[in-house]
Amino acid sequence: MTAILVKAIADLRRRRVQAAVIFLTVLLAIATGTMALTLMSQTRDPYQAAFQAQKGAHLQVAFHATTDQHLLTTTPSIIGASASGGPYPATTLEFKRAGQTFYVETFGRDNPSGDIEVLNITSGRWARANDEIVLTRSFSELNKISVGDQIKVVSAPTTTMLTVVGEVVDIDEGSADLSSQHAWVTTAAMPALTTPDLSYYLMIYRFPTDPTSSQLQGYVDRLRASLPPGSISGSVNYLLIRNVFNITNQILTSVLAAFSVFALAATVATVATLVTGIVISAYREIGIMKAVGFTPAGVVGVFALQVILPALAACLVGIPAGTLLSQPLLANSSHALGLAYVPSFSIPLDLLLLAGGLLVVSLAATLPALRAGLLKPIAAITNATAPRGTSGRRLRVLGARLRLPRAVILGIGDAFARPLRAVLTLVTVLLGVATVVVAVGLPRSFELINNSETGAGHYQVVVNRTNAYPDADVMRILNAQPETASVVALDGENFTVPGITDPVNSRLFRGDSSRLGYMVVTGRWFNAPGEVLAPASLLHDAHLKVGDSFTGTIYGQAIQLRVVGEIYDISNLGHSLFMDYATLPASIPNSIPGRYLVTLRPGSDVSAYVQRVAALQPDLIDVHASDTSIIGPVKIIDSVLLAIAVVLVLIGIGGVFNTLLLNTRERLQDTATLKAMGMSPRQVMVMVAASAALLAVVAGVLAMPIGIALHRVLNDVISASAGNETPPSVYGVFNPIELVVIPLLGVAVAVLAALIPGRWAARTNVVEVLHSE
Amino acid sequence: MTELVRLTDITKVYQGGITGALNGVSLSVEEGEFTAIMGPSGSGKSTLLNLVAGLDRPSSGTVTVAGSDLGKMGESALARFRRDRIGFVFQFFYLLPNLTALENVLIPAQLKGSVVPGRAEELLDQLGIKEVANRYPARLSGGQQQRVAIARALINKPMLLLADEPTGALDTNSGEQVMDLLAALHRDGQTILLVTHDAKLATRHAARVISVMDGRITDDARLETTEREATDVIRMRGEETRR
Amino acid sequence: MSLKYGVMGLLKEEPLHGYEVKNRFEAMLGGTWEVNIGQIYTTLQRLERDGLVRPVGERGDRGKLLYELSPEGQRALDEWLALPDSGPQQLHEDIYVKLLLATRIANGGLQPMLARQKRAYLQRLRDLNRLEERARRDGRTDLARLVRGALLHTEADIKWIDELSETGISGGSE
Repeated sequence: MTAILVKAIADLRRRRVQAAVIFLTVLLAIATGTMALTLMSQTRDPYQAAFQAQKGAHLQVAFHATTDQHLLTTTPSIIGASASGGPYPATTLEFKRAGQTFYVETFGRDNPSGDIEVLNITSGRWARANDEIVLTRSFSELNKISVGDQIKVVSAPTTTMLTVVGEVVDIDEGSADLSSQHAWVTTAAMPALTTPDLSYYLMIYRFPTDPTSSQLQGYVDRLRASLPPGSISGSVNYLLIRNVFNITNQILTSVLAAFSVFALAATVATVATLVTGIVISAYREIGIMKAVGFTPAGVVGVFALQVILPALAACLVGIPAGTLLSQPLLANSSHALGLAYVPSFSIPLDLLLLAGGLLVVSLAATLPALRAGLLKPIAAITNATAPRGTSGRRLRVLGARLRLPRAVILGIGDAFARPLRAVLTLVTVLLGVATVVVAVGLPRSFELINNSETGAGHYQVVVNRTNAYPDADVMRILNAQPETASVVALDGENFTVPGITDPVNSRLFRGDSSRLGYMVVTGRWFNAPGEVLAPASLLHDAHLKVGDSFTGTIYGQAIQLRVVGEIYDISNLGHSLFMDYATLPASIPNSIPGRYLVTLRPGSDVSAYVQRVAALQPDLIDVHASDTSIIGPVKIIDSVLLAIAVVLVLIGIGGVFNTLLLNTRERLQDTATLKAMGMSPRQVMVMVAASAALLAVVAGVLAMPIGIALHRVLNDVISASAGNETPPSVYGVFNPIELVVIPLLGVAVAVLAALIPGRWAARTNVVEVLHSE
Repeated sequence: MTELVRLTDITKVYQGGITGALNGVSLSVEEGEFTAIMGPSGSGKSTLLNLVAGLDRPSSGTVTVAGSDLGKMGESALARFRRDRIGFVFQFFYLLPNLTALENVLIPAQLKGSVVPGRAEELLDQLGIKEVANRYPARLSGGQQQRVAIARALINKPMLLLADEPTGALDTNSGEQVMDLLAALHRDGQTILLVTHDAKLATRHAARVISVMDGRITDDARLETTEREATDVIRMRGEETRR
Repeated sequence: MSLKYGVMGLLKEEPLHGYEVKNRFEAMLGGTWEVNIGQIYTTLQRLERDGLVRPVGERGDRGKLLYELSPEGQRALDEWLALPDSGPQQLHEDIYVKLLLATRIANGGLQPMLARQKRAYLQRLRDLNRLEERARRDGRTDLARLVRGALLHTEADIKWIDELSETGISGGSE
């Protein structure tokens, strides 16, 4: 055993470059893998911990303002809740600050603590006076509002000024960039802030054990049955909120997991190439080792150890590094949950990764090393090291037919001289190129989705009016502006759809809505009243398909609707309806558009427009440019993707470098001969680079369809997690030139990776090599 | 007669050993000569050849071949020089294993970028190995391999053919055939510099035998080429020395 | 010694008279051994006296007499052929004596002497190479083999000279 270790360590010293390649490759792969696994194992826990600590509500139900309050206090016993909160009087509050308009769901609540939904005060204090309001920290941070700031409520019957006195973290709602936010005032302050048609009651319930989705559904059904019809206007459960919290991490971890597998595969390929290379170059030595008494197992051990030792070092660095790198992402989600950030990792998981990483590397190393163990001593001593025979003949003939320079022909002839090695190298390069394809494509898909949600390129200005300002006046103002090209008015209503428990958030458009940038997956945009579009999740849950008709209910009135298309819309995780405003019967009161999407003529100055229009009615309408910036979580995913692409490209470069190093070392005698024949150093480098280039060309050509397919799959996974199907246009984010340029860049990178082995080959000392026999 | 090679006061020092070192060697070779450099292994004779081929550079002194000072050439210029002016034949042939005989012969011409149609085939024919043109080296005998190597060395019509122990890896018969080939080339005007440790081979065709020992030239013999009668060369004495 | 057995060997092939024996002997050795006819006759007479050869028939015109190998001669020839040459090595060359003397009387003149000798040996090698070539060309493989032997001897002599010039002949006569 000692002899094996001594020999392995001595060999490592001699093969420093190989050891370095193994170290770096394994390091990159294991760090990525650790990040993915740590995120996967830890992202669920913070929410769960916070939910327990803050006694989160399993179920929140909104009741109509007309419902009997006394009746509501009996609801917890109806469904067997162990704790409950409310009924809290609630209203949608519209307020202005620094020229911007905000909407918050506001509740009258006198105490932030209790048996349920403990509101964790992170700054300031709870509201005491009637002119005080408490906001969520998430909302404050997103909109840059801090404790002490004044806000102007415009939705109330009389305009009122409120002072922000505290910020809290509420476990029962998603973060501000993903969902609307709650706010709290004293119960006594509520009547003055409430608009009759925007008020309701909220009850929150907590159960002894975490209920399942169907249990929650059962509770809502039981409440509905025991209360007058139409009492319940909506419900939200903790599973939904948890999903909203975790969706970014889910996408991130699925992306990371996919590419960890890539990194691992590339590492295995590189390690296997390396070990076969070492074994081949050490044929003679293996014979001598056997002659002096190493057993076959001992020989395998020596070669496997040469890989395992640097791999072990890489794991010891890479696993802590990966754990550390995952912490900012975890801290990000802890922060959103109002949790103190506690470094979270799992020692057993890290140990498992160490064991797993070493196992995989050992297998990749041992299998080729077995070949060394099985060699017969005499054969090993006398066997020639360079590959013999007719390899690459066809490639050379082809090269000659293309009239390529001889150095290039020799290089491409050598590329596949060792088929296994060539294939393994192809795999590493292929994975790298495929990842680059995804890293280029996915952010663009995200951007397309973002654009469809924010109307980027379709409308530039969003206007909201207060109830006090009539729709007709807004339209008059907007149409009077010379830059206005078109105005689409938008009304939000809740429809009841058969088979769907909660009312479905619906958008009704007045004006030419077909060009707002929404993506239609299948079917078409509506062009008549009664025609609707819905995302995949709603269609699926309501057992509908494009072409089907169903009866929707709004304010107790049944309306015949027909599905004409499937839309892409991730708000409400795929439960929404899109239709023409004219679908609503005139008999429904107060359903008048309050939001206007304005398309300006090309070349208009958006900010000048916004300023001018806002100044016309500063208190009654809110005018702002449509915010098309990418939201934070997506930016994180984009940058993680970029990092992964860099990692896999580096592993790919390592693979090419490694293969060329082995090839040129084995071909040392041939190279020396060629130099003696008068091959110039430049021609030698061209020869080596041509070898690399051919491998990269083949890998690149194969990688494009794989990368594009992977991009599709990831898009589908991400869309599905938000209750949607991917629109065809989101797949097609690559242009033909890129499909050529990306593999060409791969070739360029491979050629760069070939430079060092090429230089070494070019510097081959002919005299030493050819006279060493 | 014009001078083709001139070595002036060459020393070559190798680090970590004295094997093959040269110590103050001067030498001149004229066009059309068949010169043998003879010495035991490690005497520096191969070093001398490598210096002439521009494969190695002297520690001091100058190497001039065909009027060009090799010391003033860069690596690329030296590569061009070898490609265009020098043909090199090695003891172990050093054919590229994954190319056919014909492809091997063509390499230097292709590197030069000027393939004369038919010349490679003609050479193979001349060297008596036309029938194996499309075989791979692994399927050739040692003698055939060396003849392919000679054809390769000659493809660019070098002004100087260097041969380093060309028969060292061959059996006696093949070795002699190779030597006879070299002699035939010499008769056609090829300047040849042959390195060998074998005195028999050195004197067989070379009219000039340079002895190298411990990095120095110890003798430079120009042998008489007139034919002699057997009796002037060998004499068997028998009965006279009867005891 | 070898002349005696050479004659017997030639007579074993077929009966010959003296002149024919001389010509065949010289041809066999490619002119490397000139013998005079007197030597041949003396040898034949001595062999006849010892009963190893015997005359065949009458003395012909101009006194030519055919000889053939006797059964005893046959036996003696076989014995000789079977016996390895195990006698002491014979060094015929003057150079051995010259070199030994040079170390005693011409100190310092040794290296030039060695160089001159080596050159002479090289010349001899070249000549032998030519001879061998010629013998081969003439289809005389037997002769080529003889020359080959000489070549190898000369090669050994060159090696000896090389070794001497490296180490010198030290130690004088003791």
